[in-house]
Amino acid sequence: MTIIEAPASPTLRGRAARRAPGTGIRTRLAPWAYQAPVVLSLIVWVYGPLVFTAALSLLDWNLTSPSGSFVGLRNYRRLVEEPEFPAALSRTALYVLTMLPFATVVPMALAIMLWKRPGRTSDVYRSLLFLPVVLAPVATALTWRFILDPLSGIVNTVFGEIGLPQRDWLGDPSTALWTISLITAARFVALNMLLYGAALAALDRRAFDAARVDGATEWEITRHLVVPQLGGTTVLLGFLCLVFAGQWTFTNIAVLTQGGPVGATDNVYYRLYTYAFTFFDAGTAAAAAVTIVVLLTALFGASSLLRRRRAQS
Amino acid sequence: MRSRDPGLAALAGPAGPPAPPAGRDSPPDPPDRTGLPGRGARSGWAGGARGAGRHAVLALTAVGVLFPLLWGLSGSFKPGTDVFDANPLPIPATLANYRFALEDFPIARLLLNTFITAAGVTLLQLGAGVLAAWSFVRFSHRGQRVVLAMVTVALVVPPQALIIPQFLMISHLHLRDTFVGLVVPQLSTCALAVLLLREHIRSIPPTLLGAATLDGATHGETLRLVVLPLLRPALSAVAIIVFITTWNEYLWPALAAPSPEHTTIQMGLRLFSNQEGPDYGPLLAAAMLATLPVVAVYLLASRRITDAFLQSGLR
Repeated sequence: MTIIEAPASPTLRGRAARRAPGTGIRTRLAPWAYQAPVVLSLIVWVYGPLVFTAALSLLDWNLTSPSGSFVGLRNYRRLVEEPEFPAALSRTALYVLTMLPFATVVPMALAIMLWKRPGRTSDVYRSLLFLPVVLAPVATALTWRFILDPLSGIVNTVFGEIGLPQRDWLGDPSTALWTISLITAARFVALNMLLYGAALAALDRRAFDAARVDGATEWEITRHLVVPQLGGTTVLLGFLCLVFAGQWTFTNIAVLTQGGPVGATDNVYYRLYTYAFTFFDAGTAAAAAVTIVVLLTALFGASSLLRRRRAQS
Repeated sequence: MRSRDPGLAALAGPAGPPAPPAGRDSPPDPPDRTGLPGRGARSGWAGGARGAGRHAVLALTAVGVLFPLLWGLSGSFKPGTDVFDANPLPIPATLANYRFALEDFPIARLLLNTFITAAGVTLLQLGAGVLAAWSFVRFSHRGQRVVLAMVTVALVVPPQALIIPQFLMISHLHLRDTFVGLVVPQLSTCALAVLLLREHIRSIPPTLLGAATLDGATHGETLRLVVLPLLRPALSAVAIIVFITTWNEYLWPALAAPSPEHTTIQMGLRLFSNQEGPDYGPLLAAAMLATLPVVAVYLLASRRITDAFLQSGLR
């Protein structure tokens, strides 16, 4: 028998009293009922597939045949031994590195500029600078293909006029990866500009006013008072860049280069997609997926450790 | 599936109407604007030069990041052979590209599909999201932390890592090329909506919720009569974010609805570009038709969205 142990407040009416915590099966099931749609959906479409992928990675299975055979860790060994996957892994790291300044320094500078002079112009700039985040990715990628067209695209036309080298930006292995990076970077700049803006909005302006009265220059205030307070945000955004740089390049790679030329723009996400839907090699694709998830988990652990240590100091 | 960018998410930030945390200065309020410290001191030549430099940097960056949109828009109005013309303005302008795109490919149908899908996913995520977010705030039980962790981790699981099982499921359930197949699985991308709504509900003063309980309201009644009315601005911000993200989703439609009649506009553009090859006029027109509705929705709400976000106090 469950009895309400806490002395009921005199204002509690009967109905509320009956529903005090811990009473009856209905009350105990209520939280689960509220969470059921979300939890079920996550189990069916995220966590179930994740477990299924781990199991698949131990099979040799061509997606078109009815069933596969158990091969242990052979798929993983293949990933490590064949050159494509390690190469894709290091190119993924390269994507992250090239995008890191666009995820941290550039948006931080823009956000500080907007924050220093609040007002209507800053609001307009902020709205415009955020737009790349809402632009349809496939449409934007196709427009870039038009802009970068090797024969008559505007970039090569202008470069020709002013005497700069004309190139097949997306078709030349030495420029393709940087081009994809720059195209994708606009999204990071746009999003993180706003995230830095939110962090800046939470700062207390009076400290900066005091420094100004004491004769500090704008640059000194920015450099010594504002930027250090954005450290936590920078660590967080750096980590998000690590996680999303590879994923955000995916659509651009799929639309613009399909990983080419000669694998120059391939990253782990596109490689996985290729294993699965070009070669129908479910086992290897699943092994790649597991490897990616494990690496991300390790990085996530490292970053939360870093954040905790920062918070302590 | 889909890359649930934390991005768009961000733009909601707790826009919660109730009780902005004390001690924070909300940037866009008028006294702050005019009483900008140090502004007077810098009037004159040096201040002017500095202001001009700032405008130059901001304007150049804005043109830089928006260049594909602007150039694509202008190109879409240039007649056939002039599409690569270096003149930024489309003179002479023509609507032929748009007419051709709409006649040559089921673009209108694709836009309708995308709208239905995005609206369906938005309703589903908002409905399920509010219930879950509410239960996180209201109940504390042992499973709570586990469920919250499940939701949070789902945010960073790369969608590409799940494509094989998801593809097999959607095929075996015979849901490929159906709206159910497009919409229902995308409920699993609700992590962002749930976490944002949870923050908003948490910012409702507990005394309000307590008062409702004392008056004998059940959990469901408190949600319906107290929480939802207060949550309305946050709900609309989250709805816009989910709608735009789903509109822009590419990976899931590519898996779940591969055919041109049944897919959404992002996958459709891809198919259209395969068909058109290097004929850029109609392609740009289709790209603009896919982009402009979302840009319009954003521009209508942008001030409110960015403001709401700036006041969220995210760290």
